Amino acid sequence: MNRRTFLKLSALTGTVVGGKRIIGPFETFAGLSPQQKTENAPEEKWISTSCLNCSARCAIRVRVLKGKAVKITGNPLSSVADGKICPRGHLGLQVLYDPGRIRFPLKRTNKEKGRAIDPKWTRLSWEEAIEEVAHRLKSLRDKAQPHKLLLFSGLNSMSSEDLIFRFANAFGTPNLIFGNGLDGETEKSGRWMADGHYRSTAYDLDHTNYVLAFGAQMLESSIPLSRFLRKWGKLRREKSNRTKIVVISPRYSVTAAKADEWIPIRPGTDAALAMAIAHVILSEKLHDSDFISHWTTGFDLYKKLILHQYSPSVVSTVTGIPPETIQRIAREFAQTQPAIALGGKESLNWPEGSYTSYAIFCLNALAGSIDGPGGVIYQEHPKYQEMSPLVEDDIAREGKAQPCLDLRGTTKFPAAQVVTNQIPESLLADTPYAIELAIGFNSNFNMLAPGSERWDQALGKIPYSVHVSPFISEMALYADLLLPSATYLEEWGYDHSPAGGGVAEVRLKQPVVKPLGETRAISDILFHLSKNLKAVAPSFANLGDGPEGFVKFRTSPMMPWKEFLRKGVWTGPNYQYKKYQRIFNTPSKKFEFTSGNLRSLMAKKGKRDEELNLLPQYREANFLGKKDQHPFVLIPYQPLMVIENGSQNYPWAQEIFLPMHGRGWETLIEINREVGERMGFRNGQMIWVESPFEKIKGRVKLSDGIHPEVVAIPSGQGHYAYGKWQQGIGVNPHEIIGVDYDRLSGQAAFFNTRVKIYKA
Amino acid sequence: MPRWGMVIDLDKCVGCQACTIACKAENNVPYGSPEEQKSRKDVYWNKVIAVTSGKYPKVNTELIPMPCMHCDQAPCVTVCPAKATYRREDGIIVQDFRRCIGCKYCIVACPYGARSFNSKEQEEKEYHRKDLPPDRSVWGPWPFPTRTHGVVEKCTFCFHRIDQGIKEGKRIGKEVVPACVEDCPANARAFGDLEDTGSEVSQLLASRGWIRLREELGTKCKVYYLPR
Repeated sequence: MNRRTFLKLSALTGTVVGGKRIIGPFETFAGLSPQQKTENAPEEKWISTSCLNCSARCAIRVRVLKGKAVKITGNPLSSVADGKICPRGHLGLQVLYDPGRIRFPLKRTNKEKGRAIDPKWTRLSWEEAIEEVAHRLKSLRDKAQPHKLLLFSGLNSMSSEDLIFRFANAFGTPNLIFGNGLDGETEKSGRWMADGHYRSTAYDLDHTNYVLAFGAQMLESSIPLSRFLRKWGKLRREKSNRTKIVVISPRYSVTAAKADEWIPIRPGTDAALAMAIAHVILSEKLHDSDFISHWTTGFDLYKKLILHQYSPSVVSTVTGIPPETIQRIAREFAQTQPAIALGGKESLNWPEGSYTSYAIFCLNALAGSIDGPGGVIYQEHPKYQEMSPLVEDDIAREGKAQPCLDLRGTTKFPAAQVVTNQIPESLLADTPYAIELAIGFNSNFNMLAPGSERWDQALGKIPYSVHVSPFISEMALYADLLLPSATYLEEWGYDHSPAGGGVAEVRLKQPVVKPLGETRAISDILFHLSKNLKAVAPSFANLGDGPEGFVKFRTSPMMPWKEFLRKGVWTGPNYQYKKYQRIFNTPSKKFEFTSGNLRSLMAKKGKRDEELNLLPQYREANFLGKKDQHPFVLIPYQPLMVIENGSQNYPWAQEIFLPMHGRGWETLIEINREVGERMGFRNGQMIWVESPFEKIKGRVKLSDGIHPEVVAIPSGQGHYAYGKWQQGIGVNPHEIIGVDYDRLSGQAAFFNTRVKIYKA
Repeated sequence: MPRWGMVIDLDKCVGCQACTIACKAENNVPYGSPEEQKSRKDVYWNKVIAVTSGKYPKVNTELIPMPCMHCDQAPCVTVCPAKATYRREDGIIVQDFRRCIGCKYCIVACPYGARSFNSKEQEEKEYHRKDLPPDRSVWGPWPFPTRTHGVVEKCTFCFHRIDQGIKEGKRIGKEVVPACVEDCPANARAFGDLEDTGSEVSQLLASRGWIRLREELGTKCKVYYLPR
């Protein structure tokens, strides 16, 4: 021991002795006399609010001591996950106290924009910043070109989303782009073809006895994750009969490992398997004929198609799954009532994913699992206090009449509600018109979307862009002006439950600590901006006059404000099953095996689709890259520890990033052991993964849990913008994925890029 | 005198690692870094490990949450030359940071890899930044007001919660449980008195076959697993 360490050690002992005076050696606080207790009592509060580390936005409670948040846990009043939260919820502390957060507005002084280019930020005051944005907005209005404003919204509280939406409408731009187009749209459109609901599906997981998961990583990336985690425990050992869970996926995920059976499938063929399962059910007459005869239409055509084309032996050659296995799981599925079939990212975020979603959803109808206990249920939504009608002028109306940049609703993406990944192409080609100003709210699409490079180019091209975020994300790197927003633990807001337990639920967001530095909540910024903009101000007038007032106003029908502040959760009436009279939102008012919704949509677009195109079906996936050149299919999967706010600068998440491999702080490129050994790879060796577009380098992991035809790479790493716990760690598979879409919904395809691999 | 124990149901466990993070948040366990992970110096009081066997497509991975097993015959207690680690009357094995001389015998002796050596430099910026958790000066009832580097650390079954709960007359195992039990979303963990036949842990053990890890070593650990 040298003298320096010795000195350090003695200093350290000093601290320990000092600590003794406060609490005493191994004496707990409770051991003190009542008087000492009050004197030393740290000011402790438990505050109810809601999470924002993924779009489920679960109700949480935060323990605050002397103005510092120290622990996050679930709110027992929330029924979606029986008051539990997923591991990501706990990370809120590191989101809040992230040392990489921006504390004050920043302005770019380097005109050049690009990945490795230093923006040379300089500090400015909020007044100057708001003035700057308001000035630019005003000049667009003055030119009567409000549509040249482009708004991005990433992961935000629902109340912020409502305000951003209202802002866009009052201002007069059709170009409000949410991140939804990157996930979940195919699921919605497939379901819409069947029952007319363009929404995510909720499942009554309390009573299900059999689960067939097609590429749905229920324990990692499904939403709401906390619900799947909680109910998994319930399905296994908290009811009289244990639920069987079968996972179909090319990858042996955590979900597959925890399931009863893992069935590896050739990537992109889930629809064929779903159709073959229907084949077994129909040919063996195992379907719920009562439900089908009363509450469905188009069944005969569907049955004919299934029996004609999708026998297990034919599908076996497509999927690589033995016909006996298909028969067995089909019988189990149909005979173990109630059963559900669900799809997930890895089966649905494909071109033609809508049809896959449709095919999987129809299995639920065959099994009679529609709106009954243990089946698909219909999520109810709360009724907030209505906002006063929008005040808009002719400029706004004409602006909104302009076509949207993402081509939604055009013949290219007929059913689409948002096509997030189309934006770079439109920006680069100036179609339908050039954008002059962009404002991003917590968005980080150039990390999350396939084909990152186009995003970088397109963002660099926007004449002026403003970014609102708690940290300098990859998208913020391209901003001219950076406004530091508060995190979700410092803002007012409300959220409601995503498709989950069926029952409507509203969660309150309230600041658990004062915003750090000069940060301001998005709602605060919008209210401020609206005051400086004549066009928007009237629409923001009677909304409660500020962030807290807005939440109070909107949630006033739920419960008294004081009670809501304390409880943090409002729950709607109990769920009623079998509402067949009113749940089907289709032309026939029934569940449709032949989609009337699609038929009428196509008619509206002036396109008459062939009758066959209106049925669920398997269409061979269009792969980007030729098999002889690029023999593997790339699967960029999402591990649980990926925080969906656009940052990964959280050491608690990073160090346990890949639980199946016991590794963190890294991207592992997983390939089949036999294939890898044949190619001469050793575990841990660096390899290149090259698509027809780009290549990335990483450590290879030879695994027995992966289909021989695929290469799996976790997403979430490869950040380059900020943060010592994420910068330069791992690689981002989205950089090498090609750009493709599901035709109907405009959902970006993530899984149809082919790659080759070789030693680095 | 109760004998505290834990039951982890591997059929209900979802491998999500909420236990690991909840533990870190509750007990101010330092987070690691890429370098520390490479040299296996990162500190965990609870970790989920993966054990894989079999060949494609018949592969099997067990994800096993590993807290300290709190053995009744604890090898770490036997080998400690400084009596820094000892068994409390209620069966919890604790580590006295003040007595620990950092010799790491206990780490070698522990058959479960439950112990970590804290080699974090105290003055390391992000570990001791006042504006970041963990800031121990505001923590409240917790036995270790400040952290010491150069000592061995391990799971305590959150005995600060238990001790306080007992003093407040709360029911341990129901109203008061360790952080990993409270925050397990699958409710895969239960905690309570193994001596009390009516406790949840005792009833779970009576309901199904159970295993203890490395039973053959005779450590008599108090963490039980219910297999799938």
